[in-house]
Amino acid sequence: MHDVSLCLGNADQVSSLRFHLPDFEVEAGDRVALTGPSGCGKSTLLNLVAGLRRADKGEVNVAGTELASLSTAQLDRHRGAHCGMIFQTFHLLAPFTAIENVVIGLRFGARKHTRARQRASEVLRRVGLGDRLHARPDQLSVGERQRVAIARAIAGEAPILLADEPTGSLDPETGREIFALLCDVAAENNRTLLMVTHDLALAADLPRRFDCTALVRSTAAPGREVSIA
Amino acid sequence: MSFVAMAWRYLRFRWLVTVLTLAGIALGTGLVCAVLALRHESERALAREAGLYDLVAGGKGSPLQLVLASVYHLDSPTGNLPYSDYERLRYDPRVHWAAPIGLGDNYAGYRIIGTEAHFFELPDRNGDPFFQLARGHVFHDRFEVVLGSHVATVTGLDVGDDFFGTHGLVDVPGGEVHRDFPYKVSGVLAPTGTAQDRAIFGTLASVWEIHETEDRLHSAIQGTAFLADRQEQKRETTAILIRLETPGLRLWMADEIRESSDGIAAVPINEILRFQRSIIGPVQRALLGVAAAVVAVACLTVLTTLHQAAERRRRDIAIFRSLGAVRGEVAALVFTEGLLLTGAGIALGLLLGHGGLALAAGPIRDAVGFALQPWHMPGTEIVALGAMALCGAVASLFPATSCYGRTPIADLHLTD
Repeated sequence: MHDVSLCLGNADQVSSLRFHLPDFEVEAGDRVALTGPSGCGKSTLLNLVAGLRRADKGEVNVAGTELASLSTAQLDRHRGAHCGMIFQTFHLLAPFTAIENVVIGLRFGARKHTRARQRASEVLRRVGLGDRLHARPDQLSVGERQRVAIARAIAGEAPILLADEPTGSLDPETGREIFALLCDVAAENNRTLLMVTHDLALAADLPRRFDCTALVRSTAAPGREVSIA
Repeated sequence: MSFVAMAWRYLRFRWLVTVLTLAGIALGTGLVCAVLALRHESERALAREAGLYDLVAGGKGSPLQLVLASVYHLDSPTGNLPYSDYERLRYDPRVHWAAPIGLGDNYAGYRIIGTEAHFFELPDRNGDPFFQLARGHVFHDRFEVVLGSHVATVTGLDVGDDFFGTHGLVDVPGGEVHRDFPYKVSGVLAPTGTAQDRAIFGTLASVWEIHETEDRLHSAIQGTAFLADRQEQKRETTAILIRLETPGLRLWMADEIRESSDGIAAVPINEILRFQRSIIGPVQRALLGVAAAVVAVACLTVLTTLHQAAERRRRDIAIFRSLGAVRGEVAALVFTEGLLLTGAGIALGLLLGHGGLALAAGPIRDAVGFALQPWHMPGTEIVALGAMALCGAVASLFPATSCYGRTPIADLHLTD
């Protein structure tokens, strides 16, 4: 990413928040912790990589593709093919079982699997849920839910894992387990891992840290005080 | 996992809303199907029977009443015509077939119709015999009778059985039973799916004999003379059923009968069409209006249900997008859900409407003698179902479009 900037809106109608990232480069297989206080732009950075947000200007090049040149549909497909997303609140689909959540991830990913159920079953076994394939999210513990989310993210063999506070809703012990699993699955296929975290201890365990502090700045009119939540 | 499987899972997940919406659509569709099918079937049955005869001649009165009484065995007869009128018509070269009918008695509420043996030679419009005997033979002797199929089933009478007729056209408690004149069943007709299944056919001579004897008895009681010759001259028929050599002669012959006798002549099919348009038509239109309103409400319910479901599922839709689903796919998923809901509702309604007709077919046959084909779908019903499916599809388009235009970022709650 080079000289990327993005207007984040003007909640108070007078000021606006502007995200600006001069340079950020990650090599394939890197594992990077994105740290910084709340509201500093960590998740925005992740969303720009995923193509969930578009930059107003600058270059966002992911897996050799300049995202600005893609249409919305191409962006969606690019995300499905290259990015596996893991969220703090898991974002599993409530009506579907663990295996179906993974199968649906495969269905929308760009790489089609002819034997999606078999692949889903394999990755769920890999994350330690071999005996919970047919449990619905409300029948799973929070740790198990995050394991399903990780299985869904890696099932399509996306080379980039984007994890937004993956341990934020977990107790410290479970959080450690999930973090270890995430690092393991990233290392297995030389996947790139970008992980947003407030937990500096976890961040310290990753080979690289990127401090996002001050990526977002206020463009308030002179004399007005603006707070950044 | 296909869109259909995913949409079905979402419908199952919020089963109560799904069931209530389905019930609304099914009720509306069922009503529309039942009303349209009933209209078509009743028209078909009425027209089939009315079309058997080109003309009905009878005593002065309402032409519709004459048709209902003599063709459908429903109303009171208008009055009588001299038997000589029948004899004159029978040998008219323009008349292909004619039969007199005389009413007066009933058995268990089923009318005993006095006629002549050639009544059973009535051809249908293809030239085949309309009546077929299931067993036995047509009457040869005066007090032999042939039972309509429904009468035989309900009363349990069969060939060789005897019974007594009761005076009058309806079965009333304490009615005068003609115990001196036992009828003997000589045959049972095969079902025709018309009012004829609910009638008992005997000889016109037996009807005359029973009532002449009664007149003799009354004369004796009153001390007046009974004049047999005069009675012979008074022999009458309640109505004359006529099939012409060509239907084009109907109105001409009707005018001629009116002018040459004391009675009237009616064209059954015209009377029945008029009856349908003036009395049954408005009722059916009102019912269709109610049904259309129910369907409209049901379609609005589909729209509301899907819209609310899409609103509640904003997060799920955003998840699909984060997984790589394009906007068209999430819109297609919501649209598929709407189509499934509408399709299932219509299918259920179809079953409900025609199933209801199938259940009602028996009582309707018992009441008016029409054999309905409850599972037959008339063209108007297919068009109505297509229109309903279209309404459901349009109703499903709105939430699908709304999902298409949504950006996932806000719904994933990634605000940092």
